[in-house]
Amino acid sequence: MKGFVPLVLGIFGTFAFSWMGLILIPNLQIGHLDPQMDEEGTDVYPAPKSGMADRGRKIYAANGCIYCHSQQVRADYAASDIDRKWGERRSAPRDYIFARPVLLGKMRMGPDLSNIGKRAPVEEENPSPGPSASPAGSPAAAASPGKAASAASPAPSASSPAPAASPPPKPANSPAASASPVAAAASPAASPAPAPSAQPAGANQASPGKAAPTASPANPSASPAPAASPKPANSPAAATASPAASPAPAGSSPPAAGANADPATQAASVAAPPTGSPAGVEPKPGEPPPYSTAWHHRHLYSPRSFSIDSDMPAYRFLYERRLIAGEPSADALKLTGRDAPPVGWEIVPTYDAQCLVAYLMSLDQSHPLKEVKSPAAAGSPTVAPAASPAAAPPASPAASPPAGKGTK
Amino acid sequence: MDATEIPLKPPSVPTDVPTSDVEQIERALIDASTRVPVLMFYTSAIVWLLIGTLLAGFVSIKLHEPDMFSGVSFLTWGRLRPAHMNVMVYGWASMAGMGTAIWLMARLCRTVLRHPLLLVAGGGFWNFGVLLGVGGILAGDSTGYQWLEFPPYAAIVLFVAYSLIISWAVLMFRFRRGDQIYISQWYLLGAFLWFPWLYAAAQLMLFVVPVQGVMQAAVGWWFANNLLFLWLGAIGLGTAYYMIPKVIGRPVYSYHLAAIGFWTYALFSSWTGMQRLVDGPFPAWMITASIAATILTIIPVATVGLNHHMTMQGYFPLLRYSPTLRFTVFGAISYTVFSAVGVLISLRSVARYVNFTQASIAYSHLGLYAFFTMVMFGSMYYIVPRLVGREWRYASLIKLHFWASVYGVGLMTLMLLPGGFLQGANMENPSLAFSESTQTILPYLRGRSLAGLLMTAAHFIFAFHFGLMLLGLGRTSSVPTFLNPVEAEGSEGHL
Repeated sequence: MKGFVPLVLGIFGTFAFSWMGLILIPNLQIGHLDPQMDEEGTDVYPAPKSGMADRGRKIYAANGCIYCHSQQVRADYAASDIDRKWGERRSAPRDYIFARPVLLGKMRMGPDLSNIGKRAPVEEENPSPGPSASPAGSPAAAASPGKAASAASPAPSASSPAPAASPPPKPANSPAASASPVAAAASPAASPAPAPSAQPAGANQASPGKAAPTASPANPSASPAPAASPKPANSPAAATASPAASPAPAGSSPPAAGANADPATQAASVAAPPTGSPAGVEPKPGEPPPYSTAWHHRHLYSPRSFSIDSDMPAYRFLYERRLIAGEPSADALKLTGRDAPPVGWEIVPTYDAQCLVAYLMSLDQSHPLKEVKSPAAAGSPTVAPAASPAAAPPASPAASPPAGKGTK
Repeated sequence: MDATEIPLKPPSVPTDVPTSDVEQIERALIDASTRVPVLMFYTSAIVWLLIGTLLAGFVSIKLHEPDMFSGVSFLTWGRLRPAHMNVMVYGWASMAGMGTAIWLMARLCRTVLRHPLLLVAGGGFWNFGVLLGVGGILAGDSTGYQWLEFPPYAAIVLFVAYSLIISWAVLMFRFRRGDQIYISQWYLLGAFLWFPWLYAAAQLMLFVVPVQGVMQAAVGWWFANNLLFLWLGAIGLGTAYYMIPKVIGRPVYSYHLAAIGFWTYALFSSWTGMQRLVDGPFPAWMITASIAATILTIIPVATVGLNHHMTMQGYFPLLRYSPTLRFTVFGAISYTVFSAVGVLISLRSVARYVNFTQASIAYSHLGLYAFFTMVMFGSMYYIVPRLVGREWRYASLIKLHFWASVYGVGLMTLMLLPGGFLQGANMENPSLAFSESTQTILPYLRGRSLAGLLMTAAHFIFAFHFGLMLLGLGRTSSVPTFLNPVEAEGSEGHL
């Protein structure tokens, strides 16, 4: 070939062609999307993640979670992602407009996480309440544990990023119960917590929370609380409360206590299995319900304590082992077997770990999008959440509506 | 058109000296001028190769022994993996590629390298950038964009380093002799012009004025694939186009085929990348365009493969003797295999199963190792003796290196490709628990660790041998080191 100029022009041209075709034009097409909202300008989706969840995304990226976990649900005709309950609809560009970095992933040595927050137990028991309740939960969560014991609680509460919070409630209860050796006291402690929460939760979701309404009025202070705890609280509280209670005192030992001590958790564990744990993780006695905050923390700390087949690395460096000073922390991990810290010690999540879990709990693409056809399930899960927020505000004044954005 | 012979114009001044002697002297002068920078690039590359290999060992073993070092933040799998990948891509592959490219450019432009210190400074900066980047990843500063995990501060250093390095290429082209631009030069020039655009574009669109949402992933994979094809791939092909004809002493079979191969390569391979996002949250046309482009890369692959094959026709027995030829031809064949696998796994019906599996790791290793790295090894076996004035000391070590590498990467492919298909098949079967799919791949991952051991052995052997050469402990001989005692005549002089 002769001629330097044609060569350079050709080299430049092919490159520019590719850049234009694969980057520039797509960027015009999907690079400037706005959040979707309804006619009144409410029900905005998606919303930027706030505070802890956003920081959690950076921790997710920095620790390479993306190399094993994707965050994209393929369409039902293209793959069985939806059959696996990884989502109710396929992912669309609009789901990611606030994601930076966007973490679609290229490998699944672990399950897809697009909707992991959505799959937290609240939703498990009944689809609707989940998101709305959870955000509301955050403050509540902080509150309840706080009263139970911990000084640590402020962090989560302060950060308030709803999603994170949502889970805390239910774990909060259980830890509260188990953690504080005051087993006896635990049950009472637990009960109040759930009670308040019950109200909002119950309101939204008819099914589990039949008993709920009654309980709710109990204490407003706790009000916003954990939708999760409530619903279980109600039904079990009424029906099974007494049996549950009995083990509680006896089971001051963490393992037993964890699950059974307080009605809330028990209820959760009972409730979850029937609904069907999506990824085949069935909660066993002594374990937090799948995909709750407590579950995530324990899973990050010791993945094989849930499933012996898990090939996930443990992220113990995100947790701090420390001497229990005075009261045990409310957010201390409940560990059994060889993972358990020696007596007098406790394992607590670092702020990074809390952010990471907050991020996970915020992952939820269940909101319907106009451009994506929701397959069959659309009815119950998607509509319900929409309804819930409306219901929620009145129910739980404490729950800041904005908090709901992440999840909802 | 036998540019492979590096035809020299009759020297202008010393007319009394026989032409061949002038050529010899001229080449010696050129080699001497490239000596310091090229050896510096090679040495750095090999050090990075060893570091990357050790990281790879951790990555591979931790995948089936996940409890290893779980309490140490910088040894967590999710940081080791990007560290390994980036060390290999930016530390080993890019530095080895630039080293070879510098030498090839000097030889092909038939001009001595001017301002070698510029290159040395550039190489130093590059090393610093990679070090900074890997340190950043291990410390928890990874950006989360695949192949671009280096934190932005490291990327800036890399870019400064690169601009120092590129300036020599411009200088060299400025002072080149003869109008003929040989095939290898097309590829090398392409690589050196594509890389900065590519890198700058990706950095700008991800970190300076970030694009929205999923477009980041599109930019990321566009960059990654083009880095693989237009940067490393182009250097690899350019090197193969030089080494094969050079070693067997015969011109390239067809210039026209080469031209078709080059332009279709530039056109089609640059459009690939989105097939990695198949069925993801993107407009379908983007992905389809990339799949189509991937299929169309069959054209450059076929022309390049045919060209190399026809050039080698009748000279295959030389593979028995020449280390360079053996590594390079293996690499060239792997390029065909790599592309074929790439086409296969990009098809929607197949991608449905393999998209999120270890098969894509097999694909990356076919490209980066079986093709590119092997070609680089080949070029080092050719170039290093000409720089240090010694021949490789032990033919046995070269053979060990070759076979350990070949069996290593072969075993890895055999493990991860079928393993990935099985993993994907189980993943696509919703009646099986998800953990079935990861359990399925475990035995294959253990096999991959074994393959890694072979490759580790190969790399340490090579590094040792290279160290001997650097220390001047090679053989002093006018005959290159053959893999086997030469029985046939006619091979000498070319090898």
